[in-house]
Amino acid sequence: MGNRAISSPRLFIECIVVIMSTGHVLLGLLAERPQHGYELKKEHDQRLAGAKPLAYGQVYATLQRLERDGFAEVAETRQEGGPERTLYAITEEGRAELERWLGTIEPPAPYVAGGLFARVAVAGKAADGYLVRQREAHLARMRELTAEKASGTPARVLAADYALQHLDADLRWIETALARMKEEGDHA
Amino acid sequence: MLEARGLSKSFGRARALDGVSVEIAPGEVVAVTGPSGAGKSTLLHCLAGVLRPESGEVVLDGRRIDTLGEAELTALRRQSFGIVFQFGELVPELSAVENVALPLLFNRHGRGEAMAAAAEWLERLEVADCADQRIGELSGGQRQRVAVARALVTGPRVVFADEPTGALDTLGGEQVMTAMLGAARAGGAAVVLVTHDNRVAAYADREITLRDGAVLAGVNP
Amino acid sequence: MITVLRMLNRGRSRPERVRAWLVGAGAGVAAFLVCTAVSLADFRDEGGSLTGLALALLALPVAGLVHQANRLATATRERRLAALRLAGAAPGDVRRLGALEGGWLALTGSLAGSVVYALTHLPGPLAPVPFVVVLMTAGGVVSGARAGRDVIASPLGVTRRPRVRGPRVRDLLLALTGVALLVAGLTLKGGFPIGGKYGTAVAMAAGMVLLLFGLTMAATWLIRACAARIGRRARSPETLLAARLVESDPRAWARALSVVGLTVFFGAGSGAQQAGTGYWHAHALIDVALLLAMLTSAAALVVHQAEELIDLRRSFAALAAAGVPERSLGRVLVRQAAIAALPVCAVAAAAGVGVVVFSVLDIYQARWLVWALTRAVAMTGIGVLTAMLVALAARPLLRGALRLETLRAGR
Repeated sequence: MGNRAISSPRLFIECIVVIMSTGHVLLGLLAERPQHGYELKKEHDQRLAGAKPLAYGQVYATLQRLERDGFAEVAETRQEGGPERTLYAITEEGRAELERWLGTIEPPAPYVAGGLFARVAVAGKAADGYLVRQREAHLARMRELTAEKASGTPARVLAADYALQHLDADLRWIETALARMKEEGDHA
Repeated sequence: MLEARGLSKSFGRARALDGVSVEIAPGEVVAVTGPSGAGKSTLLHCLAGVLRPESGEVVLDGRRIDTLGEAELTALRRQSFGIVFQFGELVPELSAVENVALPLLFNRHGRGEAMAAAAEWLERLEVADCADQRIGELSGGQRQRVAVARALVTGPRVVFADEPTGALDTLGGEQVMTAMLGAARAGGAAVVLVTHDNRVAAYADREITLRDGAVLAGVNP
Repeated sequence: MITVLRMLNRGRSRPERVRAWLVGAGAGVAAFLVCTAVSLADFRDEGGSLTGLALALLALPVAGLVHQANRLATATRERRLAALRLAGAAPGDVRRLGALEGGWLALTGSLAGSVVYALTHLPGPLAPVPFVVVLMTAGGVVSGARAGRDVIASPLGVTRRPRVRGPRVRDLLLALTGVALLVAGLTLKGGFPIGGKYGTAVAMAAGMVLLLFGLTMAATWLIRACAARIGRRARSPETLLAARLVESDPRAWARALSVVGLTVFFGAGSGAQQAGTGYWHAHALIDVALLLAMLTSAAALVVHQAEELIDLRRSFAALAAAGVPERSLGRVLVRQAAIAALPVCAVAAAAGVGVVVFSVLDIYQARWLVWALTRAVAMTGIGVLTAMLVALAARPLLRGALRLETLRAGR
């Protein structure tokens, strides 16, 4: 397969998750109980399975930002032989912010507008072969996700569903595009 | 195990299949996809020995089946194949357990034995509660699971499913697909799955895409 | 209303035209038979009145056939009627449309039948003719109004089969009233309190109709009970399927078999009577009439069989695709007929013998009973055989129903 920069389907899910604010996700986790930075990272990676794992540095930076904005506070600092461990808790203001964020809808952005659509927009009918290969890649990824669902945790199944439905939307768009190109070809 | 070579079939002037060749290995799950009118169902029916192709051949375990006499072909369908339709197509006048027992009874098993095996299958597909209900009293998902039990009860080599989740919502379809593939894998049956839904096709090991009665080139790995 | 009827008639398909002709012709034949029967009912001559009774009896299966044909309309017209309901027609409108159509067909049919009667019986009495025409038209109206009941209940055309209830005293009363009217007509003869000898004929005809309705309702219950019992014990898939199919729709079978049952009843009864009495000539005529009645009631069975195959075609086509041989499905049809017909015919034959024997118990001789019972068994056999032969004859229809295309078209 001529691998001329096919946007990987995996990249796709990552894009989706990045759009969500990491800060708000951490706030949501803190709302359940006060946690250490390391616990938060573990919890995040498990809940948002399929997304890119959070770097420890990013957790730390985010927590500091939350603290600066008054959404989180240090509940306790302990040092028992090992490294210093700071327990973070959510503030009243943080709860309000979380509430606000949960109530805000995401702009219904056309995720397809990434590399997939751009290629077809530029190449027009010449994108036919690319679309067929892209379709194959999408399907392969959908098969993987479906197989993962069989043995995954509930959180992983939800994440896989999210990815599957979006890939399916792409696929349907690809199939419609292929059909349209064929129709135009028949008329020409 | 099941192989078709150069299948062609027309309905009147419309050509439904045009030289289609496919091969299905034992225990394999294959999805047949493509737009409406691409010949998906016709291919399924030719493979299942329900329709006879005009040219080409269908071979099961080295034995050509498309030239068998009607009686032999019917017996073969009854013993080696199972079929699941989009709307279940169960007999509404029979209870769920009787519907599942029916293929065994037609294979001349005793009533007690057939009913026990049918009840066991309903249990395996988690619809044991509905055993004595009439089909009209079941939900769409329950109905499809009963249909899956009916297709698998004889221990077929191949299960043919024509849009098995077409009348169900996402979760209901998922449950039916998981139940069907789990049961088929446990029994070592291959599955040929006709669908226009990519999320359903994603359950298969591989995919055959049809367009205008021919296999779309360059799609299969 | 008339405009809608005209519009609908202009767009009807060939099967519907055939059906309309069937209803009209049936009404005509029935009218002719009843008129002739009434003219023959001369109570000074017992043989003549017996022949009249036989002819009146013949009119019954024809009327039954007309009602069946009206009902078959539901299968072909169902979608159109449902569309009417969705377009805003009230249940009453649809019922009125059916009544208008049924009444109109019966009126034209019976008028034609009366004209034929009048031409062939120029010296005969013409007084009963208008009465018969009115009766037939009323029958057509009632039958037409009731024909589309399933659609009337739901605009989506979903046919939900009504739950079958147990036997009711009312059914038995209907049957008993019918018997009473018949017996009164036979014993009072010319001395009927109202209307003289015509009154007698009318009372007897009404008695027969009531008896028929009562028997149909009782038969529904009987058929269901027997089928449930057979289904529980069935060892072969054919018997299981047949029993369950009959069990789920005993009403249709009872309707189709009511005339068969009645014929068996009269056949067994006349057999019991023949053993002791004379009137061989009249009895032979009755036998001929019975035979013809059986043939006509076979037509009602054919209509029922066609109606049933329309219902069954999807599940049968799926079974055939799954590897059930066509032969087995044909066997299901025949066994269905046997399961439904056997109890009805057996009970009818026993009742026929019983009525005659008990009414003259003091003079009935034991040796006559042998002939009576032989006759009863023979009538039962003929009745069941007729039903099974019709089912056997339906096999070509079955082949058409099993074609895979029936599954491809969505619901």
